[in-house]
Amino acid sequence: MKETSGLIEKISLPNATHQHLEVSVDPTLITLKPGQFLMARIGETWEPYLRVPWIPVDARAGRLVIERPMSEAYQVGQTVSLIGECGQLVRFRKGVRNVLFIAYDTPPTPLLMPIRLLLRNNVSTTLVLLGDAAHYGTKHLPPEVEVIHGDMDINWPNQVMTVGWADQVFVCVNPDDEPYRFAKILERFTERRNEIPKNYLFGLFQAGMGCGFGVCDACAVRVGGEVHLSCMTGPAFDLSLVKLSVAPGAE
Amino acid sequence: MDITIGRGNKEPVTLKTPVMPAAGTFGYGDAFPKLFDMDKLGAVVTRPVGWHKFDPASGTRLVQRPGGVILHTGLPNPGLTKVIRDHQPLWDMLESPVILHLIGTSESDVEKACKQISLTTCIRAVELGLKDDIVWQDAAALVRVATKHLEKPLLVRLPFPANEDVARAVVDNGADALVAFAPPRGADRNPISGKIVPGRVYGPLLKPMVMHAVGNLTRRFPGVQVIASGGIHSVDDARDYILHAGAAAVQLDAAIWANPNLLNLVSRDLAGLILTRPKDALSDEWFPGIGETDAKKLGLPYNNNNRTRASKPENDAP
Repeated sequence: MKETSGLIEKISLPNATHQHLEVSVDPTLITLKPGQFLMARIGETWEPYLRVPWIPVDARAGRLVIERPMSEAYQVGQTVSLIGECGQLVRFRKGVRNVLFIAYDTPPTPLLMPIRLLLRNNVSTTLVLLGDAAHYGTKHLPPEVEVIHGDMDINWPNQVMTVGWADQVFVCVNPDDEPYRFAKILERFTERRNEIPKNYLFGLFQAGMGCGFGVCDACAVRVGGEVHLSCMTGPAFDLSLVKLSVAPGAE
Repeated sequence: MDITIGRGNKEPVTLKTPVMPAAGTFGYGDAFPKLFDMDKLGAVVTRPVGWHKFDPASGTRLVQRPGGVILHTGLPNPGLTKVIRDHQPLWDMLESPVILHLIGTSESDVEKACKQISLTTCIRAVELGLKDDIVWQDAAALVRVATKHLEKPLLVRLPFPANEDVARAVVDNGADALVAFAPPRGADRNPISGKIVPGRVYGPLLKPMVMHAVGNLTRRFPGVQVIASGGIHSVDDARDYILHAGAAAVQLDAAIWANPNLLNLVSRDLAGLILTRPKDALSDEWFPGIGETDAKKLGLPYNNNNRTRASKPENDAP
């Protein structure tokens, strides 16, 4: 991990809510794995105060494609300070054939890079967009991805079949109340399956990324009795092992 | 610019630069070497460590504000014994001395922790963290226990806002240095969830308040070294603490998360390692042999043997 500079070379608009920044980066960062991310800082000001996690959704022609909300203003030619690579790659089971991805009240940005990797390996992928995630336009996604829209109460068509069919499931939720939302997802899966096996249902933890290199403790997660930092050993943790016992809205 | 901390018959610790990270901002010294120039640090101050294990706080822990952040972590750590066992090999290898931040929970815990720390060689000093609402009697008791059982220098981190009674109790009971101050506590609404999140406040606006309080401390306790901590976001901020507030050293906190290089810059500056570049020097004249690159580009004569330019036209652009 080191601090390097990136250059925004191209900006495209994949949908109405997000923009894609094609960023030339240090050669060591081009090999960023699905699940890994960068911590970005633009300019020398202290606004925003901390670095912002930049999650790549693709890598092409020596550039990383970063997805950012349309509300943020960027320019071609802008340089950005990047710390990375942060986190670990998302680990898929050997011989996995069908993978279910769920975005709940949040854009599916952290899921897009893993989806592309699986598609390159001819693995079947389904993306379920729940709640606010349904506003995310998906026309730019590869046509091989099956996209299903669900509601805020974690219902979607053919739920029993998709849950039973999936070899692995990866979920990202709105970071404002991550433990509560993950707990709701876990509860729904517990209703749909007799048991939740290990290495089956993973949450991609995004909340509280303060530093990106494991010193601020803001992203600490309790997994199997141990404290893990999402920015170091995450962001994907097995939800059956994560301590999610947080009351709704508790702070 | 060396500073030595330690009084009485304890083995003092010498910091080769008056710059260190604040507790809780730098891990256990295991932050990535490519991000930080560890050799230039005066000391490595560890994450807060308790005698017992601490679990992370639940719920939202981080709220960003314009020009600052509120952070509540719960000080997660696996307890002193495990921390020492896991990090002793690393700490033995570090060139900078390790100062362990000990959470001052109770007299018995502090006593047990200090006895254990005294048996180690990898920890060179202890920074004792006091509760924010501590009264001077409790502070005196904790420091008395720590100095009695600790064979190493004791730094005490004071809560903010400053309380002179607590500071006096700490000094009178044998603290070797004061760390001023812990980040103040605050609370604010998380703009995403709309909920109130309590935590410690970090940001540049703390510097004027902390600097004022550090100045008061150094005047009230002239024989005691004060290490200033809070709101340092530039080299000049750090210089102000040393030159104008009378601090012996500085600690950098959350600013290094956004700009890790700031720690290197401040370390090099306060250690006197930054050379002043002559006003008319060529940009790459610093390094032997490569000054000629600019000289050739500008069509100037260049003597590679003594690495100086022979002359410079008067109307040459700066």
